[in-house]
Amino acid sequence: MAYGLLLLAQLLLSNYFHITPYITLTLLPVMVLCLPLRISTIGAMFIACLSGLAIDLLSEGVLGLNALSLVPVAYLRKGLVNLIFGPELFARKEDFSVGRYGFGKVAMALLLSLLLFLLIYIWADGAGTRPLWFNGLRLAASLTASFLVSLLTLGVLAPDPRK
Amino acid sequence: MKARGFLNQLASLVVFAALELAMLYLTTRSADLQRIWVARAGHAFMGAVWGSSESVRNYFALGKENKMLVRENEKLQQELADAKERLRQLRIDTMRVNYHPGYSLIPAEVVKLSRGKQHNYIILNRGFEDGVKEKSGIITHAGVVGIVDAVSEHNAFALSLQNHDISISARLGTEGGSGILSWDGIHSNGALLKEIPLQYHYNVGDTVYTSGHSLLFPPDIPLGIAGEARVVNGATNEIKVTLFQDFSAVRYVMVVHNDALDEIEGFQE
Repeated sequence: MAYGLLLLAQLLLSNYFHITPYITLTLLPVMVLCLPLRISTIGAMFIACLSGLAIDLLSEGVLGLNALSLVPVAYLRKGLVNLIFGPELFARKEDFSVGRYGFGKVAMALLLSLLLFLLIYIWADGAGTRPLWFNGLRLAASLTASFLVSLLTLGVLAPDPRK
Repeated sequence: MKARGFLNQLASLVVFAALELAMLYLTTRSADLQRIWVARAGHAFMGAVWGSSESVRNYFALGKENKMLVRENEKLQQELADAKERLRQLRIDTMRVNYHPGYSLIPAEVVKLSRGKQHNYIILNRGFEDGVKEKSGIITHAGVVGIVDAVSEHNAFALSLQNHDISISARLGTEGGSGILSWDGIHSNGALLKEIPLQYHYNVGDTVYTSGHSLLFPPDIPLGIAGEARVVNGATNEIKVTLFQDFSAVRYVMVVHNDALDEIEGFQE
């Protein structure tokens, strides 16, 4: 339910949030990152692919661009979680949250998944026509903006189980 | 359990690759910019792959290539040798054009030339079989080189002008006084023109020619340029001469023989 609502929010952002070409605002990486860990990598990749395609289809972007950038996030999701939160998370069969694992670790996971997504997205969107400084600036601005917006969704996507 | 984990990872990788390729295909189909970009990247990749494979193939074909180059090198060396020989003949033919009436001219090549001694000599590749006789002069386009002293069947031994034992008759300018020219013994292109009477005036820079009085050399062959002079015994001038002939570069020469030499020597006897 929350995932669907955030997908709708992303759709609105993609269609109406065009302040500057330097900022690409996205919630998709945090949505994929926070998918329940019981969902397999293959399953997560299909969800990511369909989510990306849905955004591409219903917004003015290039078809396949969001999906192309989001599938790697889904593919590396469990590895990233294992690296940052440790293997005990999988052993206990629970999902991560800020309350249990701290803001730092969650923010790190979020930043890395956003970085991966935006690197591919900006690289493919520019298609070799944009200068490096532009891509660099766009990456930095988009990473900052998307990170701040994604933090707002953490309460919904990764709630503290103790509350 | 481990095998199952490996299979899961493999399946994930396959699905990941398939999804990425499908999305890349979709991207290229929906936007020209991305289509050109992917096509360009594909061409670059194929170029790198084919370029590498071509380099490997070329490396293993180097042996064959080397043999071919050796054969080509041999052929070119042969052509070069032929061309040099033709050039040598052309030079000799060119020298034959310099005609001196009353003198026989025989082209020759220097086989050996001594320098740096006080008594230098020259060996030529022509002997009496080729018509070379003793008491013949040796000249080039740049002046006198020496005098033939002895002749064998196929070679001639000559005294170089850079030899204290020889001197030749020379004249200052076209109508100046005549004297005796010999090597100064110091410089490779230095000579002294002696016994020029004091009444003959000259200017530094005048050309010195063979006089034609020696019977060995035709007249009017330019020898060098007159320099400073000094008076000897209050009676004659001794003039420094800078020779035109560069003895370090002598290779093709002309043997000149006075056809009337024997007859004139007969009168003298």
